[in-house]
Amino acid sequence: MALPQPAQSQEKSLSNAERRNFLKSSAMAAATAVAAGTSNWSLPVIQGSEIADDVKWNKAPCRFCGTGCHVQVGVQDGKVVAVAGDRNAEVNKGLLCVKGYHVGSALYGEDRLKTPLLRHGDKYVAITWDEAIGIIADRIAAAPNQFAFYGSGQWTIPEGYAALKFMKGGLGNNHIDPNARLCMASAVTGFLATYGVDEPAGCYDDLDKCDVLIMWGNNPAEMHPVLFSRVVDRRSRGEKVLLIDIGTRRTRTTTHCNHYLEMKGHGDLAIANGIAHLLLAKKTYSHEFVSSFCNFKAPDDANPNLHGKSISFDEYAEQLKPYTPEYVEELSGVPADQIRLLADLFGNPELKITSLWCMGMNQHTRGTAINSLVHGIHLLSGHFGRPGDAPTSLTGQPSACGTVREVGTLSHTLPGGRLVATPEHRQQTEDIWKLPAGRINPVPGFHTVQMWESFCTPKAEGGVIDTIWVQVTNPGQTLPNLNKLFNKKEGMKEKFLIVSDVYPTATTRLADLILPSAMWVEKNGMFGNSERRTQQWFKMVEPPGEARDDCWQTIAVAHRLFEKGFEGMKDRDGRFLFEVLDQEGKPVPIWNWKNYYDTNVDQHLFEEYRLFSRLKHKDLAPYTEYVKARGLRWPVVQVNGQWTETRHRFAGGLDPYVSNGKRIQFYHSSTKDDRAQIWFHPWIPPAEVPDADYPFMLCTGRVLEHWHSGSMTRRIPELSRAMPTAYVEMNAADAADAGIRNGNQVIVESRRGSMEIQAWIEGRGKPPKGTVFIPFFDETKMVNNLTLDAVDPFSKQPDYKKSAVRIRKV
Amino acid sequence: MQPNQPSRIVLLVGALITFVAIVGYFVGLQSPMNPFEKTARVQGLSRVVGATRSLEAMEAGSIPATDYSQMRMAVRATLASSKLAQNDSPFSTASIPVYPTTEQAALELAVDNKIPLAEKRFALAMREKNRAFNGAPPTVPHPIAETSAESCVACHSQGMQTATLRIPKMSHAYLSNCTQCHVGTASPDMQNAMVRANSFVGLAAPEGGPRAFASAPPQIPHSTWMRVDCLSCHGQASYRGLQTTHPWRQNCQQCHTASSTLEQTVLESNAKFMDPMQVDSL
Repeated sequence: MALPQPAQSQEKSLSNAERRNFLKSSAMAAATAVAAGTSNWSLPVIQGSEIADDVKWNKAPCRFCGTGCHVQVGVQDGKVVAVAGDRNAEVNKGLLCVKGYHVGSALYGEDRLKTPLLRHGDKYVAITWDEAIGIIADRIAAAPNQFAFYGSGQWTIPEGYAALKFMKGGLGNNHIDPNARLCMASAVTGFLATYGVDEPAGCYDDLDKCDVLIMWGNNPAEMHPVLFSRVVDRRSRGEKVLLIDIGTRRTRTTTHCNHYLEMKGHGDLAIANGIAHLLLAKKTYSHEFVSSFCNFKAPDDANPNLHGKSISFDEYAEQLKPYTPEYVEELSGVPADQIRLLADLFGNPELKITSLWCMGMNQHTRGTAINSLVHGIHLLSGHFGRPGDAPTSLTGQPSACGTVREVGTLSHTLPGGRLVATPEHRQQTEDIWKLPAGRINPVPGFHTVQMWESFCTPKAEGGVIDTIWVQVTNPGQTLPNLNKLFNKKEGMKEKFLIVSDVYPTATTRLADLILPSAMWVEKNGMFGNSERRTQQWFKMVEPPGEARDDCWQTIAVAHRLFEKGFEGMKDRDGRFLFEVLDQEGKPVPIWNWKNYYDTNVDQHLFEEYRLFSRLKHKDLAPYTEYVKARGLRWPVVQVNGQWTETRHRFAGGLDPYVSNGKRIQFYHSSTKDDRAQIWFHPWIPPAEVPDADYPFMLCTGRVLEHWHSGSMTRRIPELSRAMPTAYVEMNAADAADAGIRNGNQVIVESRRGSMEIQAWIEGRGKPPKGTVFIPFFDETKMVNNLTLDAVDPFSKQPDYKKSAVRIRKV
Repeated sequence: MQPNQPSRIVLLVGALITFVAIVGYFVGLQSPMNPFEKTARVQGLSRVVGATRSLEAMEAGSIPATDYSQMRMAVRATLASSKLAQNDSPFSTASIPVYPTTEQAALELAVDNKIPLAEKRFALAMREKNRAFNGAPPTVPHPIAETSAESCVACHSQGMQTATLRIPKMSHAYLSNCTQCHVGTASPDMQNAMVRANSFVGLAAPEGGPRAFASAPPQIPHSTWMRVDCLSCHGQASYRGLQTTHPWRQNCQQCHTASSTLEQTVLESNAKFMDPMQVDSL
């Protein structure tokens, strides 16, 4: 649906009376807030009788999660004053969650960073942008290979693309990795191992069509509430949909579900194998689907990679033999009858089954395995390729798909699904970037955990990374095992941490240079959500103080290096790597902040990046198409002159890249025969299990009100009031045994660290005996001092969900 | 000894107990859930364990549920204060008293039943207490069950009003994941925390919609999305300042038109007109 947009300009002349009124009300609002202190939870509201007439509305995707809701942003007098759900957005159809409704307040926390700050001992001094850019450029020029870029799934697509080009094209350095490594790397390896290409085949439309929704370690009622409502609201209209929650604790999602299957950590591996076992034993698998469209694979222990080794159907069946419902019950804790229930559902070809998962399956030391297994049971049973029949992974960040997986801001990738290790891919990339041959380094860089471990290791002991530039994320709170991977930086004089952010965070705490950034509608941007939907928005308000776009910061440093004669910042014709030409063919000096918005840098970067999207059938439309739409799902191809999105991939009649007459075609098959791979992976216990010393299993996660590390949502009074601080959720029986009552302060400690926190029993969630849950949003209660840094062998993603801890009352 | 004398005393005592119970019941119904009258009750309860948190909550405009250990004291405190507080408040929550008997009277009354501006502003100020901006979903001013949507529906599906308590009716169709949009205050079991200062200034609620001329029906100054049931805010159970002046009318949008911009309809951007007629001058 293409909708013309109102003009982006917010120019508006105020009459004197209006201006006075506004200033007065702002002053009053500020005074009220100060006078009322902490007891006044509600925010001030503009006084006066003006109605919505002078409010300008424009579209933007929400700043927070990967759902990708569109909001209408109301701007008055250069400030965001209101937010409404976008009724023309297919994702959310006018609805938002409480974070989305209050996303506008995220811009106005009073401690916004407004000027570049340089560390002097224990203090910071304000410096100019010119000095800050110079400091970064000097450090990079001195040792370009010891520099690393740590980015984010909250980078806009152009920001991530610029950073990637800066590192891999400019410095010939592959030490760039995003926080999304901690979030969805195992989903990527699961898709690659199964289909040979990343990202879901289905989309959110499946939620409107499915008869059964299975949530694997997922709590969408709190984490993807708009998608969850899209399903449960069908019941209000009289439709039947069976909800099944496979989880390690009771949550708000559980209360809506028909069945709750309570499993132990890593029980999902056994459950998936148990379903496959029964499908074969009862011969209820889809013989037609498997024989036409699938091969079988098992891990190759001698040579572990995503290709594994091919096995026959009989070998596959043989490996599954032990996974009887009774054995699965023993491994997972889920009663055998409930395993049979799942197998019966998958064995019924009449039903349409959608699986959803997010961090539960991804933050898992066998994340690649469980992702592959869930795809496998959908393929084995033929529940694939019809609207409503889909294995769909969700993302937690607004552009984990768009910026990380599609742009390829990972240590081993290039845009468009290219790999640095493949000569042909490097050459394609060098051609598009007009680089001299051989500029791109063929050796993958450090992944997240390696990068931070190297940064926190003294140079004398081999810690080669000496400078990290962090943009749009908060690793000082969100890395696992913080004492090892982040806190050790404190006092290490030879290491230099640069942080671009909008607020002081746990990361800026140890930063040597802090750069104030523009956020969300203070800049142009593009995001890509969980269902392959690419979204665009325009800048609507000015950033505060000296805050500037992250993308400008990267380009400014690149140009400073170019000015210093740094070869990498020149293309093969000696031109600046990020050169933007105006209509007369003259370069626009976008590295000067005052000229940055003389042109639309996002559009220039996106049009270049778009060339890559054709290389793996992830075609993106021209920028101007996204201006008109509420996002478009790739591949976007021209049909009769119209740019047309794709809802379901690999299915005949629905995906433009499936050959005529084929029902299903996995055209990126890793076996080059248009078939997907059904994997067998054995059940393996978690990396750490409770024992006599550390008897509880700790799971970490989020709550509805707060997003990630809370640096934005904890500055929004409505959200902070509803969920003021983190807590440890305990089982009532465990608490009673330890003499712990509601609200008691307790010490939770693991082999890696400890924390003091209050107990909440029978609260938001209800963990079973022997397990506890702590959300990670609170910068004063750092649960990641406790978590384990063990990673999945393929995706290198850590497991935040299973650490052994002990608890005692203070 | 007359055998029926003790039973008469029992009867008398029984009647007395029944009387006290009935009075107590109705007095109890009025208390203690009125967010406006906080002083007396707050002071009376300040020594009770756990009351500190309630105090903060009340100052924030939330209504703490009274637990059993506090019930007796709460009632006693309210007895002393409730009557006074009601008389004190210049703004009653009572509804429009005059109903018309003829069609002609109905037309006149709709114009005559004017709502004083002060009442309207009071009502809007009350609404601002739990909304970040006009159009934000209201936050929940009382403790809630963490995982049950049914408990919300029990009261808010119909809404009601007593002398001191106002329970708004859901203004939208039934949606089962209430806390997705409406978040509560922190659980009483959770330690309260400071809130960081934020300078967001929300869009004000309008004091009325634009009118074509003085006695024209005002246009609806807000979106009707999620506000399908006009009577949720403009009905008898609402603040008087927001109530319709003509509650006998059922078809609101017959006279009050919505804004196509605020409704986000695509109609506005697709609107076209015929090309102007070309008239050649002589």
